[in-house]
Amino acid sequence: MSLEQFKNRNVGTQNYKKLDLSHSPSSGWGEFKQVVSRTFKPELFVGLWVTLREMGNALLGGKMHTTQYPFEKLPISPRYRAIHEMLRLMESGNYRCIGCGLCEKICISNCISMETRYDENQRKEVSKYTINFGRCIFCGYCAEVCPELAIVHGQRYETASEQRASFSLFEDMLTPIDKLNLQQEYQGFGAISPNADDNIKKTPLAY
Amino acid sequence: MYEVIAFYIFAISTMVLFTITVMSKNVLYAMTALAAGMVMISGFFFLLGADFLGVVQLIVYVGAVMALYAFSMMFFDATKDIKEKHQNPSLAFVLGGLMALVFVIMFSAPIIGENIQALYPVGLAEGLGAFGNAQDVGLVLFTKYLVPFEVAAVMLLVAMIAGIILAGKKMDYSLTECEASDKELEDEILKGGAK
Amino acid sequence: METTILPEVTALGVIIKAILILAIIAAIAGFGTFIERKILAFMQRRLGPMYVGPYGLLQLIADGIKLFTKEDIIPQHANKVIFAVAPAITAATAFIALAAVPVFPDFTIPFVDIYVPSIASDINVGILFVLGMMAAGLYGPLLAGMAQANKWGIIGSARTAIQFLSYEVVTGLSILAPIMMVGSLSFVDFNDYQTDGLWMVVYQPVAFVLFIIAGFAETNRTPFDLLEHEAEVISGYATEYSGLRWGMFFIGEYANMITIGVVASVVFLGGYNDFWIFPGWFMIVAKIAFSFFFMLWVRAAWPHVRPDQLMWLCWKVLMPLAVVNVIITGIVMMLV
Repeated sequence: MSLEQFKNRNVGTQNYKKLDLSHSPSSGWGEFKQVVSRTFKPELFVGLWVTLREMGNALLGGKMHTTQYPFEKLPISPRYRAIHEMLRLMESGNYRCIGCGLCEKICISNCISMETRYDENQRKEVSKYTINFGRCIFCGYCAEVCPELAIVHGQRYETASEQRASFSLFEDMLTPIDKLNLQQEYQGFGAISPNADDNIKKTPLAY
Repeated sequence: MYEVIAFYIFAISTMVLFTITVMSKNVLYAMTALAAGMVMISGFFFLLGADFLGVVQLIVYVGAVMALYAFSMMFFDATKDIKEKHQNPSLAFVLGGLMALVFVIMFSAPIIGENIQALYPVGLAEGLGAFGNAQDVGLVLFTKYLVPFEVAAVMLLVAMIAGIILAGKKMDYSLTECEASDKELEDEILKGGAK
Repeated sequence: METTILPEVTALGVIIKAILILAIIAAIAGFGTFIERKILAFMQRRLGPMYVGPYGLLQLIADGIKLFTKEDIIPQHANKVIFAVAPAITAATAFIALAAVPVFPDFTIPFVDIYVPSIASDINVGILFVLGMMAAGLYGPLLAGMAQANKWGIIGSARTAIQFLSYEVVTGLSILAPIMMVGSLSFVDFNDYQTDGLWMVVYQPVAFVLFIIAGFAETNRTPFDLLEHEAEVISGYATEYSGLRWGMFFIGEYANMITIGVVASVVFLGGYNDFWIFPGWFMIVAKIAFSFFFMLWVRAAWPHVRPDQLMWLCWKVLMPLAVVNVIITGIVMMLV
């Protein structure tokens, strides 16, 4: 490949073909025929029909697209990395965190801070655990490094707050003990959406 | 009673508006006042029972003629006052006043002499006027005033053709479709790009 | 002429009618914004305004409060008097035009026995009066654009001038053929002409289509909404307007849409005559509602044209068609 081809950046003189040009009439009679055919072609009414059909679909067929957002929410993909959640063990109800400190160590924005101690059973206990969401970049390393699947990314994506540094405490992120039966196991970063099948559409190959 | 009140309202507003038209230095004020004055004049026609003429006054003068004035005024900055250059203001004042006086005398003389008569009174029950306003105007226009009517029509036609010829020398050359109507370029593109 | 003895038209009846027109049409014109947003939303499978009131019905009030309390900005270099007057011209001419239009059939208010005529003011050149008033309505956008010292405004008002002037020709010529058939300029005569026979649209389909197209242009609706087309001229003549003054333009536009709907219904679609089992008042309301809906429908479906296409359409297609239609109507009327 020679260098000239790279130097030629004049995109206006490339081999584009205008599809409509061959149809443009040359004579007056041709123009007249074009005007008549365009006038009496039902294309305009096709447009009218399409909008009316869509209105019927929306009102009667229940195909309204709108999600009334603050009241309804679309399911979010499990790959999405939103506010963290601390999971519990399903059997005992204890939190899964073993206080290993890997998440604090790997956190590249230094937003996780934790303190641990030994409790009376010589088991490691998390005494303080905060995440500064003003600094968190939601990279997901903490969830990836966690050996116990204790810290995961949840579904809460509405993170607007009044303060720049909004901390989240361990207890706030922990699954409430009375909602333990609703706790979802983390599917992991490569997981597909629960409604992935619904989102499959025919690809319009004609375009 | 109502007619008298309405007449005075229309008369006063017409005079005030046309005074503004003449006196104002601002193009926009003058034009607006002129248009509003035309509307007020149509009020007189309605008062006199000449509905058709009143509406024609509205459509022709307000709707068309004044709009053309307005269109030409878009070439100027309509929000600025015009600096008038009077060489001799007193002369203009005297001449204008005299002309106005002459017009007033010309038009009021037959009225004072009670010498004015409607040849085809509109809206009366004899012969003409038995049908309605528009029909009356039509009858007069196509019987007694047929020749002036046709002559005026021909004059307007001549003016229109002259206007088209003056304005439309390159009418078939569309600036917006300049590129597409350029035959050589089109052919080049069809052949597959300039080499 | 039938010799039915009509009850006497009292001043009270006329005043009631005028108040009816002002109150109802102004309310509907305001409500039209809600209907437009809803219908456009449905056609795009959206919901439209939903949160103010049930199904967003009170959105109009919220919009009204917003418009009333908005700061009324007058640009520094604008011609303040004309700038302030221009929206009033649009709204006033739109409502004055409605004075000569039959919006409901005659009726008598029960119990108090006041006869309310169909038209607030039945001048016998009703159609021309409406056309003339809509022609005068041109001054609203025109003066607004020229007074605001803004280039978008001046382009908008230039477009107003050419569009309204050009399409007035088509409106007048297209409605001339029905006028020739009826032989009167009064809306009441038009209505009575279609009482027994077919609707005028059967005799004059070409005139009907031309009138509708020109009506879209005169009311500044979507295929021809070049005066305030956002993508090209920001908002045209309304660029510098805010708050209530802008709202008055809006009300005027919707009142004009209703006027065009009424004229089309009375002249071409059988007016307020009874039809089959439906009474006259229902028919006229249904027809006006449909023509209003049609304008919104077209807005949802069709793109707008270029300014040069607009002029091309008016002077090279519609006007010759209208003239030919008038000539053919005249020849047929002479022969038959």
